[in-house]
Amino acid sequence: MSALRGRFNSAAGFLDLARRAWRRSTRFRVGSLLVAAMVAMAVLGPYVAPYPSDGWGLVPRNAAERAGKPPCLEFPFGTDNLGRDVLSRVLVGARLALLQIALVVSVSLALGLFVGVCAAYYRGPVEALLNYAAEVFLALPAMVIALALRLALGQGFHVVVTSLILSWWPWYARSSYVYARAVVEMEYVLLARLAGVPDRTVLLRHVVVNVLPPVLVQAITDLGSVLLEASAINFLGLGLPPDAPDWGIVVQNGFKYIVSMPWVSMFPGAFILATALGFSLVGDSLREEMDPKMRRRWKLWF
Amino acid sequence: MPLSLNYLVKRLLWSVAVLVGVVVFSYVVIILSPGDPAVKWAGNPRGPGAAKAVEEARRELGLDLPLHLQVLNFLKMVLTGDLGYSIAYRQPVFAVLTRNLAATLELLFAAYLIGVPLGSLLGVAAAMRRGGSVDGLLQTLGLALASTPTFWLGMAVFAVLFSAGFPAYGRVSTGLALATGFQAITGFYLLDALLQLNAPVFFDALARLLPPALAVAAYPTGLCLRLSRALVADALLEEYVRAAVAWGVKRRVVVWKYAFRAALPGLVQVAGTAFAYSLIDAMVVEYVFGREGLGRLLFDAIAFSDFKLAVGLLVLVAAFYLAVNTLADVAQALIDPRVRL
Repeated sequence: MSALRGRFNSAAGFLDLARRAWRRSTRFRVGSLLVAAMVAMAVLGPYVAPYPSDGWGLVPRNAAERAGKPPCLEFPFGTDNLGRDVLSRVLVGARLALLQIALVVSVSLALGLFVGVCAAYYRGPVEALLNYAAEVFLALPAMVIALALRLALGQGFHVVVTSLILSWWPWYARSSYVYARAVVEMEYVLLARLAGVPDRTVLLRHVVVNVLPPVLVQAITDLGSVLLEASAINFLGLGLPPDAPDWGIVVQNGFKYIVSMPWVSMFPGAFILATALGFSLVGDSLREEMDPKMRRRWKLWF
Repeated sequence: MPLSLNYLVKRLLWSVAVLVGVVVFSYVVIILSPGDPAVKWAGNPRGPGAAKAVEEARRELGLDLPLHLQVLNFLKMVLTGDLGYSIAYRQPVFAVLTRNLAATLELLFAAYLIGVPLGSLLGVAAAMRRGGSVDGLLQTLGLALASTPTFWLGMAVFAVLFSAGFPAYGRVSTGLALATGFQAITGFYLLDALLQLNAPVFFDALARLLPPALAVAAYPTGLCLRLSRALVADALLEEYVRAAVAWGVKRRVVVWKYAFRAALPGLVQVAGTAFAYSLIDAMVVEYVFGREGLGRLLFDAIAFSDFKLAVGLLVLVAAFYLAVNTLADVAQALIDPRVRL
């Protein structure tokens, strides 16, 4: 039963899994350090940034003399064409980045899990309708949904978040549907239903508990992918306004000056890369740890 | 015959049903927008005749009907290939889309021709050194390539080339195209240049295509690396590989003919889906390199509040996704004798 292999079913079980991964895998250690650094930046960013108001996008008063400075002691990441300190922009932006990806992944996970489990449990027309809806949104990448929402609603945080949620929930719906189909066939679910346990209880206590672990591990990897998509949407100006401290926006700030002031774009982009890589490393090694088939260390035949 | 006509017909009908959903969704989102497209269509009229002009524009665009009728009308139009009239280009949306599609596809094909073989090769190399330090490094490289923001990578490639004295901007040098009498026939410039035996334009277009293609190729390279590593490493542990080794079959034959062959269907399936989604990456990189193509339409749609163009893009992207996935399924059935469609 591949769906139920190596599962954990409590927070303690998850911690245990993480501990095993930490002991065994260098990639997990590197990844979790990257993620920890990102979270620390998100919490402390605005307090440790040397020029917090630059970070929020305000143009400093002495913009003319500060504009376009290459990295130096005073401005470790240099300044942009408006004289804003790039390091401050990056530090303040970490919180915005974390907020976007956490919101998108948690809402789409909840929505997808609900849809997938309901489709697998109730079957019939409910199943057909929910799977059809998932298929429609699978065909729509976040970028084009963001385009439509940008036209309809204008720029803003809600455009990035809504478009990403709309394009991500079907993935969770699909995988939780596949896992839930396997669980629903289990005898203990059937017996619980025969014994007259209400649907809601069966779903929560038996189905969701068994479906959640693999989907949750997938969600950790997805945090990185969502960050990549969110920054691309913001980079193109479909999401947040141009002075927001989002990393994609800071890359956009340096777009016209990529040859004369490459540091404006290169530093925030490197942070996007490091964060996305951190989440993939963590998610990947956790999945490996959960799956005993991937864990075996056999010698090759030659 | 692994393919049945029945399956293809069913698949086609399902795709149409999904497209209907896409059209309804996009039309409802855009029609609910606060800005009034009728005012724009009438040319932002002022003065005493303004109300009448807007009213006429509204009737002309069919915006005076109830919402469900509008959606039905629009569905009818889209399914017959009529995507309406672009406000930005003052041309049918369908013509605008098809004109720009070839440019984006050219970039996408180039990227996948680089990325998929390269990634698969590296993945097999990693699988053969399973558990070693080379394996770990290659796997991390795969993750890093798949975690790189494409637009940022494109900018870095552009900046490096620019500093080296080669601005890889646009699709082809206009001066060169005019001087050699280059004509766009198919829209795939490399193909067009070959057809016209126009060597200077061919090499110019190729030199301008490769840098953005490398940026778009990062994702498929990383993806194929990880996937072929996982699939081939699994296959190498199978009993038939052990049997082949015991028979004294050559190592190269075992790896490529047995293990990689077993990984191929899965690789095709995932690379197919990734190819469909990479259309978006290609659009973003086009913007970075100032190339013509679908990426530019995104900006024109915003600048002109051109909701027909936006819906056209949505429908096109969804149709592309559905078509590519169907093709990937068919290819999988042709490669893998166990799959019958």
